[in-house]
Amino acid sequence: MAWKRICGADEVPENTAKKFDIDGIPILLVNYGEGYRAIPPICPHMEEPLEQSGVIVRCVLTCTKHLWSWDLKTLEMKGETEKPLKVYDVKHENGSILANIEEELAYEFDDAEEEDDDFFK
Amino acid sequence: MKITVESKSGSCAFQCGGNETILYAGLREGLNLPYECATGTCGTCRARVMSGEVEMRWKDAPGAKKLKPDKGDVLMCQTRPISDCLLRVPSDIAATDGNRPTSRRGVIRDIRKLTNDVAHFDLYLTEPMDFEAGQFVVLEADDLPGGRAYSMVNFDNSAAKVAFVLKRKPGGGFSDWLFARGKDEVQVEVFGPLGKAVFRPEEAKNIVCIAGGSGIAGMMSILEHGTRSGHFEKYKGAVFFGVRTLSDAFYVETLARYVTASNSKLHVTIALSHEEAKTPTHPNYPTLRLASGMVHDVAAETMKGRYENAVVYVAGPPVMVDITIRALIMGGVATSDIRYDKFS
Repeated sequence: MAWKRICGADEVPENTAKKFDIDGIPILLVNYGEGYRAIPPICPHMEEPLEQSGVIVRCVLTCTKHLWSWDLKTLEMKGETEKPLKVYDVKHENGSILANIEEELAYEFDDAEEEDDDFFK
Repeated sequence: MKITVESKSGSCAFQCGGNETILYAGLREGLNLPYECATGTCGTCRARVMSGEVEMRWKDAPGAKKLKPDKGDVLMCQTRPISDCLLRVPSDIAATDGNRPTSRRGVIRDIRKLTNDVAHFDLYLTEPMDFEAGQFVVLEADDLPGGRAYSMVNFDNSAAKVAFVLKRKPGGGFSDWLFARGKDEVQVEVFGPLGKAVFRPEEAKNIVCIAGGSGIAGMMSILEHGTRSGHFEKYKGAVFFGVRTLSDAFYVETLARYVTASNSKLHVTIALSHEEAKTPTHPNYPTLRLASGMVHDVAAETMKGRYENAVVYVAGPPVMVDITIRALIMGGVATSDIRYDKFS
């Protein structure tokens, strides 16, 4: 386990996201009001920087570039979104937000490549 | 040449000539390959070439910036095959039911100046085209390579003549070139119709259009279709047309005509970003409202809490589109009710 402190719980206001560098790994911390999510800082669709392109409303994160969106409570994909968000586990402890970072999470070109290379065969 | 595309939803194959791009060949076959601008700027049509030889037409396309060429990544809209190819596309692909785009020839005539930097032109097609209100085509002149996307202004079934808005941009090669043609006839290659930001009356919804400058083009087609199909007898319409000053506004007479035809169910506001609106309504067309400010602010203020059962169309300069979409999502509009085609 590698729980690492991201920031103080008051550093990321409700319905905003802020990017942090944790030992060289970029982490986007999203405060959706009812909780926090720690995710890679880019949209899995076209690698848009979610700190700028993302909007958080009613627990839903939407990338404004092409409208991919996810329910941050359930991680359910909304609308025409085709890829799930990857998340680091987070916890709130003594006024700090911590994330469990084993290694950097990244999005591959397509799911088939990483999960099941025989997908198309 | 045979192009095979593997996607998350399975594999499909189609024929592609050596002179056409893989994207256009696939769309022509009725496949919904991913794309938005179809002209190299947005990057949506990226694919990975797994085997076979291809050439990229426009190597420095802005949309190619994030690609990994060493892994074989290409933009399908800029890629021509040299041999049979196997490609992988990171999205779902299926056959579409809409109008299949195809290549035609056309002649541009009647370039007519509307304002200082905006012109209207008509394109006479060799074969008529069916399209949906809000769609666009890609035009390419014989002696000026590279396609440019233009939204249709008019709306007709089996249209033999289509109309466009041309915005003159500083250093904008094609617009300068076309402006310079004046009264000459210009031969072009036409590929289309393209684009998903379409209006379908059967959706039975109110319509909101937010346009910056020449982004009004596709909205005019939507309003024409809405007016002729009697849509505004049952549903409301709100149009926000952003221009710098009142003298930059165009199609005002047509807009006023749509308002009159709608029995005031359609409201049009012209938002002036670089001058104060001196009167509450247009001095010559009092059915058109004037407002001061950026068009997305004016729209957000006017529409606050009134987006119910509405589809919102957005078009204009990329920054304006981004800010508007952000404001719409913050305003509670569902992503499925926001329609736009991304050109950057």
